[in-house]
Amino acid sequence: MTTRPSTYEPAQRRLGAVGGTRRASMGRDLNAVFAIAWREILRAVKSPLSIAFTVIFPILFIGILGGSISQNLSGALPYAYLPFMLIGMVANSMYQGTITGVTNLVEERDNDFTAELFVAPISRYAVLLGKLIGSGVAAMFSLIGIVAMIIVMQIPMNAGDLLRVIALTPVLALAGGALGVFLIGLTQEPRTVAVAVPLLIFPQMFLSGALIPVSASSGILGALSKIIPMTYSIDLARNIYYWGKPEYAAAVLHPPMLDLAITVGFFLVFTIVGTILFVRADRNR
Amino acid sequence: MDTMIAVEHLTKRYKKAATPAVDDVSFEVAAGELFAFLGPNGAGKTTTISILTTTLAKTSGTITIAGHDLDRDPTAVRREIGIIFQKPSIDSHLSGEENIRLHVALYGVYGYRPLYRLMPAEYRRRIEHLAEVVGLGDDLFRPLKTFSGGMSRKLEIVRSLMHRPAVLFLDEPTSGLDPISRRGLWDYLREVRNEDGTTVFLTTHYLDEAEGADRVCVIDHGKVAVDATPEELKNRLLERTLVLDAADRGALRSELVALGLAPQDDPGGELRVDYRTPTAQDVISRIQTPLTVLRIREPSLEEAYIQLLRDPEEAVA
Repeated sequence: MTTRPSTYEPAQRRLGAVGGTRRASMGRDLNAVFAIAWREILRAVKSPLSIAFTVIFPILFIGILGGSISQNLSGALPYAYLPFMLIGMVANSMYQGTITGVTNLVEERDNDFTAELFVAPISRYAVLLGKLIGSGVAAMFSLIGIVAMIIVMQIPMNAGDLLRVIALTPVLALAGGALGVFLIGLTQEPRTVAVAVPLLIFPQMFLSGALIPVSASSGILGALSKIIPMTYSIDLARNIYYWGKPEYAAAVLHPPMLDLAITVGFFLVFTIVGTILFVRADRNR
Repeated sequence: MDTMIAVEHLTKRYKKAATPAVDDVSFEVAAGELFAFLGPNGAGKTTTISILTTTLAKTSGTITIAGHDLDRDPTAVRREIGIIFQKPSIDSHLSGEENIRLHVALYGVYGYRPLYRLMPAEYRRRIEHLAEVVGLGDDLFRPLKTFSGGMSRKLEIVRSLMHRPAVLFLDEPTSGLDPISRRGLWDYLREVRNEDGTTVFLTTHYLDEAEGADRVCVIDHGKVAVDATPEELKNRLLERTLVLDAADRGALRSELVALGLAPQDDPGGELRVDYRTPTAQDVISRIQTPLTVLRIREPSLEEAYIQLLRDPEEAVA
């Protein structure tokens, strides 16, 4: 075989508008974020078993654990327990869904799919942001189970209150996903990640006030509840739900702007540091 | 001819490794060339290809691809390259077309649309054409889980070419494929090279695939053992052979000895002489004994490669 005369054209000329300007590069990254996010949603839709587990998990917690606590221990609370717990479960489900979805990147790296993502001419942030958004949307399937439990258990919540909380779920999903990004920045070992994910989700579920109020927590448990991100995300959701209601002061821990600022702060730090660590660890083997 | 890939003094030492996986490697690939990068397992081929495709950081050295410095502008390098990885890198949860749609969005060739029918007509025309060319047809829309190994490889090739890369990296692209699928892939790649003049950087263990290369670079223990055309490599390492016989074999043997050749008994019962003259004609024209058998045995690249790895010093010499 002989060398062919190359009709090679530089990509900048060949691909026209998607060439080298900063605006074009940003446009390409946004397009990639959308494509990667949609892939996550497609994968979730094409896996009925995974959707079933996503829906069943909040049903089990709200129905069995929430129902039991409500019947036996909630008498002393100055507010109805089930709506309080349900808001916590919305935030917890978003965290759980996105952490699991984002950390799945490590499994994909092991299966070599990420090679396709990481040789594409897009920023690493676009890859992780797409993964994060897609996992967040996929996590919203858990809302089906939550709404089902509101109806089945006749939990006293009006549609407007619930819609306000649902409107916040993208923020909750991003906050949870950022923790996932940070985790895969620290370790890319699939077995370690598999063990670390439940450790990241369940202690937060119990310490953040998702299930049990933590306003009276003190000592080590009190300190832990103050340093975990889920505490502030859940409190932000409760701020929105209880705003203007008589039980507001008893049900929330912090002012909404403080919760929002801390949630956004955690998101930025975890996403940026996690992405830098992940990319560096991936290339600097 | 323009240089498409320039690698100078490339070294990669993995963390905690006693010796570098790639040790001071330099080579150049011209635009439009089919460049075969060969070596035994663990020689440093995949490490080199991973560095060239920006998925692995090098320890030292400089690399330029399509005029872009890999350190200064890795994104520009990524825009110019297409890759078929050693292990398949397609998402088995999606259909073939969904994998390709994701790829074109990642490379900014087309804006992403959630449904195939919403994609631009040009994309749909192109993908249908490519699916026909590689023989995938409507299978392209089936879940990838139903694809055979050969179909998945074809899909990867279609995908890697959607953004018309200047350089196509093929890391053992036909491993695990049956002979018909292998031939089909190479026929298609030949067409692509004819049409677009795409530079191809190939690693393979099937040496017959490298026979058609414009240049062969063999790496061993992280170092370049030889960088030459296949013909140069064969000529440098192997003697070509004539298989001869005559009704009077004794007379033929004596004549060959007299000509300074060293006839040996061939396993087929005939005589064999190795020669290093430019052509077989130079030897044959000097033989007077009437021949009953005359065959010219050309060494294969595989034989040269094995000889090289057995005796690397001779190749360097």
